Amino acid sequence: MSLLTAAAHVLGLSPNTFVVTVGMAAVGMAAGVVGCFSVLRRRALVGDAAAHATLPGVAIAFAITGSRGLPVLLLGAALSAVASLGVLVLLRRFTRTREDAATAIVIGVSFGVGVALISGLVARGVPGSGGLERFLLGSTASLSTADATMLVVVSLVAMALVAAFTKEATLVSFDPGFAAAAGWPVWWIDFALVALTAVMVVVGLPAAGAVLVTALVVIPPVAARQWTDRVGVMLVLAGLFGLAASLLGVALSATIPGLATGPMVVLAASAIFTVSLLLAPKRGLLAIAMRARQPLSLPLERAQP
Amino acid sequence: MVLMDQKMVFDSPQKGRMGVFSRIFAGAVAVFLCAAVGGCSDAPPASRPPTVVATTTIVADLVRQIAADRVEIESLMGAGIDPHSYRPTPRDADRLARADLIVASGLHLEGKLAELLQRMSRRTPVVFAAEAVAESSRLEAADGIPDPHVWFDLALWAACIEPTVKALSDLVPEAAAEFAEAGAQYRATLLENHAEVQSAIAAIDEQQRVLVTAHDAFRYFGRAYGIEVVGVQGVSTESEAGLADINRLVDLLVQRQVPAVFVETSVPDRSVRAICEGAAAKGHTVETGGRLYSDALGEPGSGADTLVLAIRANVQVICDALGADGDERQAERTPAAEEASETQ
Repeated sequence: MSLLTAAAHVLGLSPNTFVVTVGMAAVGMAAGVVGCFSVLRRRALVGDAAAHATLPGVAIAFAITGSRGLPVLLLGAALSAVASLGVLVLLRRFTRTREDAATAIVIGVSFGVGVALISGLVARGVPGSGGLERFLLGSTASLSTADATMLVVVSLVAMALVAAFTKEATLVSFDPGFAAAAGWPVWWIDFALVALTAVMVVVGLPAAGAVLVTALVVIPPVAARQWTDRVGVMLVLAGLFGLAASLLGVALSATIPGLATGPMVVLAASAIFTVSLLLAPKRGLLAIAMRARQPLSLPLERAQP
Repeated sequence: MVLMDQKMVFDSPQKGRMGVFSRIFAGAVAVFLCAAVGGCSDAPPASRPPTVVATTTIVADLVRQIAADRVEIESLMGAGIDPHSYRPTPRDADRLARADLIVASGLHLEGKLAELLQRMSRRTPVVFAAEAVAESSRLEAADGIPDPHVWFDLALWAACIEPTVKALSDLVPEAAAEFAEAGAQYRATLLENHAEVQSAIAAIDEQQRVLVTAHDAFRYFGRAYGIEVVGVQGVSTESEAGLADINRLVDLLVQRQVPAVFVETSVPDRSVRAICEGAAAKGHTVETGGRLYSDALGEPGSGADTLVLAIRANVQVICDALGADGDERQAERTPAAEEASETQ
């Protein structure tokens, strides 16, 4: 606590602002990095599926233990998220269901099961069961030091894993057929990537909420993809964009009263995304428009003399 | 003749404990039998007391105080349930459909239930108890939207007795006098407790007479009993706190050296804990002063299962945490309140 106070004091921030800044910076960065492979693998909605799939786990964990404690709920959330994403990967492998349809099914079914379980608990009058689904909303401004510490640890581990297995993940993302032929355990790598996203999302949930975490997993990688064709650069950029969005969002919410922190982070991320969409050198809309004009004007100029 | 009989079965105030469709079916069968036999007596006499369904534990308590022996009372939402975010289930719709009288709190408290209540009101009388509070004494939650938590001002809540007594008397006309008397008695109890709460809160040092809670449920309480109320989340539990709001509260706690903040039984307490942590980092220890009953009463047997007991328990918790002058409080310490504060 004294360390916290000192650090906050040096930066001239209030202790709460400091904790939220550190926690969100870690989540933003790691979510951006981990999300790159979801986006490259065309699985942008996996994070969303994971977030919604936490609800049955939350309900069951509460029903078994009767506790609303964060560790208990998080454990339930993580188990059910990983389980449903296992279902997602299996659906894709053993049936002819397409990726997008399978994702939609997992989102819908798990959310439905979660809401049904919770309303069942509420209808039985189990005390404390009301508003369990608010677990999905999160509340960024209310991060505690313990939450933030956990976020930082999990984020660092997740980024380290991605750094260590970049080669494998890249190969599976771009050419799963070749990877399989070369003897790589494609399905396991696939599942590990999905599970990593799931863990990131689950850990970020109470801090950020389902929609925000999903946005943090998707938006920074897509923005980063605009600027580069290299996976390594994209990973770094996505992390930086996520970090920048978190810092900007937290700063805005700390300055202007009445603005919830989570949504401000998402808005900051979408601002970065918009700029990338317009201004990126090769893939930006502006660059494309300029290129589109050039071939047209050149033959005309030549025809004149 | 046949048509008339059918109508009688439908409009009879003593509905059985059946669903809508089974009732229609039973009605049709009854009509058929009547027609076959060639004559039919009145609707069957009430063998069981009529059912009153209340939305929250707080209005259920109101009905119980007036008519506990005469009607069957059910509460849709149990103890510890947050009415702002409560979603009705089909079973709730069924329970409401079976009710002979529905008593709701109103003033937008039952956010997601409102539509269902509206539909039910076409067939079953619905009383919105809290709407009996005169508009001039209502607080506003936002532009034009009233703050629904009127029960925390016991004198104000007494206004809700009259429409409830009236509706119950319409339901069981033979007990009207009994209800009127119970209502008058309850009114006296509320006013008596109102005065007691006032003097209890007044014993707290003025500087520290600040009630910081997770959501803004206690504004009526604050106005009636002279304690400043600051909610982290706003009147509804549905909104999220921003960082600037959290920081502002931390500063307030540190500046005024407020010794405690409070969590509510029906609202998650993350934001309150974050505030405590922030104040602690600034060198001012804030305790979580225990749980307050806000939008739901305690479970049966918890010692806070009536509104009066719950408010007394709240006052006990508040006075203990904010440091009221001990002697005066000890005299008022009820066994119920003691039990409630022990369970935290």
